[in-house]
Amino acid sequence: MSDVTSDLARSPENQKQYDFFGGITLAVVGAILLTTSFMVRNPVPLTVRGAIVLFIAAGLAVSFRFLDVKNQQDFYGGMALILLSLIAFVASNDLPGMRGFAFGPGTAPRLFAFALAALSLVVVVMGLIVPGPFVTKYKVRGVVFITGSILAFAATIRSLGLVTASFATIIICAAAAEDVKWRETLLWAIVLTTFCSFLFPYGLNLPFQLWPRFY
Amino acid sequence: MYELLANLWMGFGVAATPMNIMLCMIGATVGTLIGVLPGIGSLATIAMLLPITFGLPPVGALIMLAGIYYGAQYGGSTTSILVNIPGESSSVVTTLDGHQMARQGRAGPALAIAAIASFFAGCVATILVAALGAPLTAMALLFGPAEYFSLMVLGLIFAVVLAKGSIIKALTMILAGLLMSMIGSDLETGAERMTWGVPELSDGIGFVVVGMGVFGFGEILRNLEMTANRDIVTGKITNLMPSLPDLKASAGAIGRGTVIGSLLGILPGGGAIIAAFAAYTFEKRVSKTPQRFGRGAIEGVAAPEAANNAAAQTSFIPLLTLGIPPNPVMALMVGAMTIHGIVPGPQVMTKQPELFWGMIASMWIGNLALIVINLPMVGVWVRLLRVPYRHLFPMIVIFCCIGIYSVNNAPFDVMMTAIFGLVGYWLVKHDFEPAPMILGFVLGPLMEENLRRAMLIARGDATVFLTRPISAGLLAISALMLILAILPTLRAKREEVFTE
Repeated sequence: MSDVTSDLARSPENQKQYDFFGGITLAVVGAILLTTSFMVRNPVPLTVRGAIVLFIAAGLAVSFRFLDVKNQQDFYGGMALILLSLIAFVASNDLPGMRGFAFGPGTAPRLFAFALAALSLVVVVMGLIVPGPFVTKYKVRGVVFITGSILAFAATIRSLGLVTASFATIIICAAAAEDVKWRETLLWAIVLTTFCSFLFPYGLNLPFQLWPRFY
Repeated sequence: MYELLANLWMGFGVAATPMNIMLCMIGATVGTLIGVLPGIGSLATIAMLLPITFGLPPVGALIMLAGIYYGAQYGGSTTSILVNIPGESSSVVTTLDGHQMARQGRAGPALAIAAIASFFAGCVATILVAALGAPLTAMALLFGPAEYFSLMVLGLIFAVVLAKGSIIKALTMILAGLLMSMIGSDLETGAERMTWGVPELSDGIGFVVVGMGVFGFGEILRNLEMTANRDIVTGKITNLMPSLPDLKASAGAIGRGTVIGSLLGILPGGGAIIAAFAAYTFEKRVSKTPQRFGRGAIEGVAAPEAANNAAAQTSFIPLLTLGIPPNPVMALMVGAMTIHGIVPGPQVMTKQPELFWGMIASMWIGNLALIVINLPMVGVWVRLLRVPYRHLFPMIVIFCCIGIYSVNNAPFDVMMTAIFGLVGYWLVKHDFEPAPMILGFVLGPLMEENLRRAMLIARGDATVFLTRPISAGLLAISALMLILAILPTLRAKREEVFTE
């Protein structure tokens, strides 16, 4: 399972670069959340805003080397989860909490968000103390083409119909493989598209539109 | 006892109709196919094939989906033995000894023992599901909201303790899943929660979307990172029959594997993967010659294969009796049942006995069918393994896309799945296990509902979870498990198990 190719490993300079951009990203996302917290209906409590400011500070501290990340996996993973819980705090802000002894709609989200933030903080602190593995490089090619193909499907299925959408999706996502062979792919795409256009609308009677809609 | 037999007889009456036998066979065959192909898990498959079942009657649909699930457990072993990469994550341990056997020219006996072990375990598990169904359903009637909540806590804790890697990271994953499950309308007041005003989110994020994104697309992104080094054992597979010493050596292992698998399957949070690991480790412990393990010991194939198949089937017990999905695949079954208007829980058995018993009987028929599908057709499966991944993943992507789209006819769902695919990839990159998150996501709404109800009934007194005996017992077990898992001595052992 661990036969990841070695070209995904990072050099020490590259790791420092990752920390620089990673910290900046955290700070920027935090700043966006802070701005949002001023635009929601109910005023967000000062504690939550304070936590967001601390979050931004931690991001900046990492990118300018005031904080040394010992375990990138734990640190960034934990920070992202803290961000998730802060977002949950801001998003559930306008929901009423406890009413007498009954839970309001906002009680459980805030309860779980608080628990998540507390545990994630432990993970983050561990990532600053205990040395551990670095985050290996991302396979950008795969991410771009796979995600792109799925989004292309979402964008075209309604307007262009099943045949066009699936053909385009298959061609785009096939480009994610480094060893892509275009002639084979084209043939394979035709076969798969034909199969899908018979199986789903006819074989399974699902309501699919096959061809583009012309108005 | 008489009642049990009568019920089983009725079940066979339902399952043995030509239509249902055919669906069972289709499910088992598709399951095997998927199991053989590395890179598609059973979760993604069931999600992918969910639209196929829309037009079927409920019993037929569930029979087919169940067939896919345990068929995948069978098929996964073939790839593990012949190629040294697991076709299914639950057959990871089978690679250790199975592939060694294949290299020594004993691929035939390895495949045969895997099939026999799976069949035996499947039969025992079927009987177990039938026998435990009624008493557990009766127990479910004693359960109030507090007990349900505590039981789900226990399930989540089990998932944490049994997951590999850091315990605290697994806990954060569960909480993240719970938090995400709260997006959408509030159950009691109908208030929009954390939707940021996006109307598509007011129904919440679909389970199929999260599951398919994290386990389907996320898995593809991760697989693209790996270099293909497939070490296929070529050469004709001759002599499928294991020798008498082989059978003798593995008989005990099959029995022990079945017991371990059945137990871990019933527990919420367990499942086929954990069961296989546990059975292998246990077998190595009790063996008089542990040094043979990893070098082609036949017990090392028999035990995990029996365990994963037993667990795959007994994991239906909590779903059918208590209405609690013990693992992500079962959660998808909940989705399938709801589409057909069935609410999983104790009432299924009393109100729709033909569904309950028909499904159980079909499991046995399916297991029989799998032996027929697997052994003589091994040659076909091997040829399938030569399909390069670059042809495989476009197929998975397009089926997933169509599958998600057809659940709600919503392009928005497809888009969300793409995002969750990135989330899944990112999580793996940072060494967070996605499985606990999915379980938290699935159990989230049920947990919140029961928590709120329990608190309301107890008039806001949080000690209700500790004063009701069953609930207190369940919570005590959870606490004990968590403490044991954090204790250093046991932690070392746990790591040892997972590194093996």
